[in-house]
Amino acid sequence: MKVRIARDLFRGASGVLLALPFALAAHQGFAQGVTDDMLLNAHKESDNWRMVGRDYMSTRFSPLNQVSTKTVKRLVPKWTFSFGVLDAQNTTPLIHNGVMYVTASHGRTFAVNARTGSMIWQYNHPLPEDAGKNMCCDIGNRGAALYGDKVFVSTPDAHVVALDMKTGKPVWDVTLSDYKNAYSMTVAPLVAKGKVIVGLSGAEYPTRLFIEALDANTGQQVWRRYTIPAPGEPGSETWGSDPDNLKFGGASAWITGSYDPALNTLYWATGNPNPDWDGVGREGDNLYSNSTLALDPDTGAIKFHFQYTPHDVWDFDGVNEHILADLGGQKVWLHGDRNGFLYSIDRTNGKFVYGKAISKVNWATGFTPEGRPIVNPEKVPSYTYEAKDICPASEGGKWWNPMSYSPAKQMVFVPSREICTDIKSAKGDRVEGKPHWGIGSIKWNKGHGQLVAFDAKSGNKKWTVDAPSPFMSGVLTTGGGLVFAGTPEGEFKAYDQDTGKELWSYQTGSGIVGSPVTYFIDGKQYVAVPSGFGGWTGWATIGGGGAPQLKDSRKGGYVTVFGLFDE
Amino acid sequence: MRSYFTLFRHASALALTFLLLGLARGEDELKNPFAGDPAAAIEGKRLFLKMGCYACHGHEAEGAVGPDLTDDEWIYKPTDSMIFNTIAKGRRGTVMAPFGDQLTPDEIWRIVEFLRDKNRQRHLKQQ
Repeated sequence: MKVRIARDLFRGASGVLLALPFALAAHQGFAQGVTDDMLLNAHKESDNWRMVGRDYMSTRFSPLNQVSTKTVKRLVPKWTFSFGVLDAQNTTPLIHNGVMYVTASHGRTFAVNARTGSMIWQYNHPLPEDAGKNMCCDIGNRGAALYGDKVFVSTPDAHVVALDMKTGKPVWDVTLSDYKNAYSMTVAPLVAKGKVIVGLSGAEYPTRLFIEALDANTGQQVWRRYTIPAPGEPGSETWGSDPDNLKFGGASAWITGSYDPALNTLYWATGNPNPDWDGVGREGDNLYSNSTLALDPDTGAIKFHFQYTPHDVWDFDGVNEHILADLGGQKVWLHGDRNGFLYSIDRTNGKFVYGKAISKVNWATGFTPEGRPIVNPEKVPSYTYEAKDICPASEGGKWWNPMSYSPAKQMVFVPSREICTDIKSAKGDRVEGKPHWGIGSIKWNKGHGQLVAFDAKSGNKKWTVDAPSPFMSGVLTTGGGLVFAGTPEGEFKAYDQDTGKELWSYQTGSGIVGSPVTYFIDGKQYVAVPSGFGGWTGWATIGGGGAPQLKDSRKGGYVTVFGLFDE
Repeated sequence: MRSYFTLFRHASALALTFLLLGLARGEDELKNPFAGDPAAAIEGKRLFLKMGCYACHGHEAEGAVGPDLTDDEWIYKPTDSMIFNTIAKGRRGTVMAPFGDQLTPDEIWRIVEFLRDKNRQRHLKQQ
């Protein structure tokens, strides 16, 4: 009996000792949370990807160079992780200390071993069954944020949830607004100075949208910045005479902002006024729609703003990201707008540096010295006039999919498209919780896609790669001289940064509408990309469509991770 | 007595057969009361736009975020019941939400007729 007990004890102890390294390996990522220092210095290290833009400047650039122009031909898939759901996979995966934190459609969030692809935990946000009813553009999510021992996500029913980094269990869950009235969220939060910052979606509906900062520990509101002024506030006079315009003018904020700690300024952009295509009754510039707001991160106060498309009647959502760059001694932000222009704006004061066409642009013929577009009246739709061949179409010369900036080469790489549209406006009914577009008729005309490289300082194009369909993915640039981007047909491609030459391609199986990242574990570089076609795709098929070949594209929902083939 | 019992057995078997047939036909049981009614199709389009269906399916139901509802491609067999139930109850696991709390059955049937009419027009154009 004693021998058996001793033998059993030995076996038990051995089991524990054998299991211990695996348990420790799985949990080593949790040993240290994400600190302010890590976020502030994200651009200086290369192993991790701790926020969706990789760093506070939103460069989406990694210094990693193990995968390079010389070695990329050996890039092979290492593992695939299925989300278990379909529809738009708009996410950017995050990596912290060997663990990937990735969001998916339908309110899913996962923690995955970034080396092996095995799941650590899963959080399914309990969505109401009609959550997708009032979302214009599918039920995707653009990514999480990490800070301390928590993972922060926004949800389609307008919640912000803090999850325990180790277990995925909710720590706090805050409702910001009423999803039944079309207030929703797809945004990847940004964490800065202990605050979780998010922006609301819903400008295709009668809404008054906002940017909100929550205390990361408690979820308590720190500040809320409405994107449309209240009556009597500066800018309220730019919405015509109907006071309801200030309650229902939209101006969403669904793309993650950037943060300059030295200037203590948060840069967050806003979207279209509502109704999107009907400007009658909201005469004026409609501030602060289609603008970058430079905000005090502690209070949400507006320091200054720059508006890209005043009195928008083309749905040129100005929400796109800001890449903060120092060029020739000038501190700027680079912004590829839906209106077709790549902007460089002085980020200390909001002054216009340049606006260069990404794609064909004919709704504006140029700019004033202050950067205000000079509108071409032939391209302004009305109730009685169908404006033909407006370029670019509403999804822009650059849609929401983020561009990337190489600080070493001072080049910016823009996922783009050449698609134009015919629009006639109409008066619609403004009913809370119902879409309100102001459309009489709209058709998208057949076009194509392109990836465009610019010199960031001058705004001059360096090269253009054409593609049958618009690039609907985000872009990744690396120290290995590569540009990674995905296509709606599912191809994940690598190009030479200097020439645009395609060096590698892999068919992932479903359209890529999220963003790739790269990271480093145990001496190996990995490149990860989500796949899963979806999102607003009316531009592809309505009225003939800008890319009719994408009709009925197969959906998916997974992330594929690549590494170099080991001999 | 034996002949009555046999009769009863046969009658029971027959009744059971008809019951099972009825259950098997349950999926097809609902029929659109407005089938072929052009006025219903016009009203159906008005409701389609009013409810905001165009935001996902396009102004002519040709598809956008949501699928084209005018062609012959359906995930499930496109019976009147299936289309009616999808509008009324939504489709779990997708973005299609239920509208049964905002539309009466007659209003849903009119939307079904609008979609059927769009499909007929599509076929006519192809001929």
